[in-house]
Amino acid sequence: MITLEANYSKKIGLPGYSSHQFSVTLKSELADIAQAPAESARLYAVLQSSVDHNIQQVGYLPNANGNGNGNGHGNGHTPPVEADAWKCSDKQRDLIRKITDEHKLDKAKVDQLAQDRFGKGVKSLNKLEASGLIEELLEQTGQSKPRNQRFSPPKVGGR
Amino acid sequence: MIAIIENGAGPVAEPAPMEKLKRTVSASRLNCWLQCRLKFYFRYVLKLTKPKTAALHFGSVVHLVLQQWNLTRWRRQPFEIAKLKQVFDTGWLDQGGAIDWDGEEPEQKISAWNVLEKYFTDTPIKADEMPEAVEVPVEADLSRHGLPVLIGVLDLVRAGGRIVDFKTAAKTPDADMALHQNGVQLDCYSVLYREATGKRESGRELHHLVKTKVPKVVITPAEPMLEYQRNRLFRLMEDYVNGLERGDFIPAPGFGCMGCEFMSECRKFDGGRHE
Repeated sequence: MITLEANYSKKIGLPGYSSHQFSVTLKSELADIAQAPAESARLYAVLQSSVDHNIQQVGYLPNANGNGNGNGHGNGHTPPVEADAWKCSDKQRDLIRKITDEHKLDKAKVDQLAQDRFGKGVKSLNKLEASGLIEELLEQTGQSKPRNQRFSPPKVGGR
Repeated sequence: MIAIIENGAGPVAEPAPMEKLKRTVSASRLNCWLQCRLKFYFRYVLKLTKPKTAALHFGSVVHLVLQQWNLTRWRRQPFEIAKLKQVFDTGWLDQGGAIDWDGEEPEQKISAWNVLEKYFTDTPIKADEMPEAVEVPVEADLSRHGLPVLIGVLDLVRAGGRIVDFKTAAKTPDADMALHQNGVQLDCYSVLYREATGKRESGRELHHLVKTKVPKVVITPAEPMLEYQRNRLFRLMEDYVNGLERGDFIPAPGFGCMGCEFMSECRKFDGGRHE
């Protein structure tokens, strides 16, 4: 007896830097190796159809703040962004807040630093600019790291 | 299964979980993967460590000084060569460690400072040009393409979105070859820049500081990344992930072996699969 095992997996991106994936595996027994091409094609069609049908159910999605309950049905739909939402990533926002809080930095001064360097307030910084601001804050608070350790803990996630 | 090599090559940390290596990818990891998968295995999976080389030290200190020079402009501070020399001297000592200089440290130190002075004279970057970014770590979540998170540190982004990467070299680079050899890195930086800013870069530049007897500076400009270049990079990332899953840690004997720090481990490698 010949066993044919087929797996089909698909991963798709979702709003708010989310993604989800689904995979299905099927096993089929063949009496003759000559049946393999046809059976393989049949399994592929069944698996693809099954995965495509189910993966449309997006389920839970974080909202713009990264911790709420978003719209779980809008496949490819971007959740509404709050008026004062940060433009950088959630991890960067959390890290800026963490450094500011832990070192009791004056928030107005941090915002002024962003204005001086980039001509805009902290919340308006894109990810590249926020990364620059974070490096500057880390240096000012004596936490700067060598180049090869920039993506290591204890920073709030990789940036 | 991969055989563990026990030859006292240096402190061996716990092998990195393969899942961790598959979650993120960087230009240096991709280049190592392309160069030799067995070298990748020694460096990133087994994490074998080797003493820092003189060339690496030279490059690190030059980068450190260039970073300070760029930060000075970013902070709108005046250019003071004496302060940069201080950064250089301190960096040379701090990062020195146990390097086998073969009696050439004084010459190498002079050469490193000379090439920096040459750069400050010849650089196309004006003293009042405000950088967009200096030595910033950035990442791009490529999960929508079924790929890992790309991570990297941008040396410099010039005003208007020109990505710059600094290189030190012993020989004057040929422009076409330099762009070809650094293509993966430049394309990675383009992907990172676009993800971090939502904009296309206006161009890319390699700034080579050449440590010949008479130091030279060679600027090699490149166009913004084209779609086929991005596709090629993504295909390489796919290969990286699939290859890690399969454990494709096979050696690639060639010219690159001459400078490889894992030569002795490589010669003892038995293929790694044991039934």
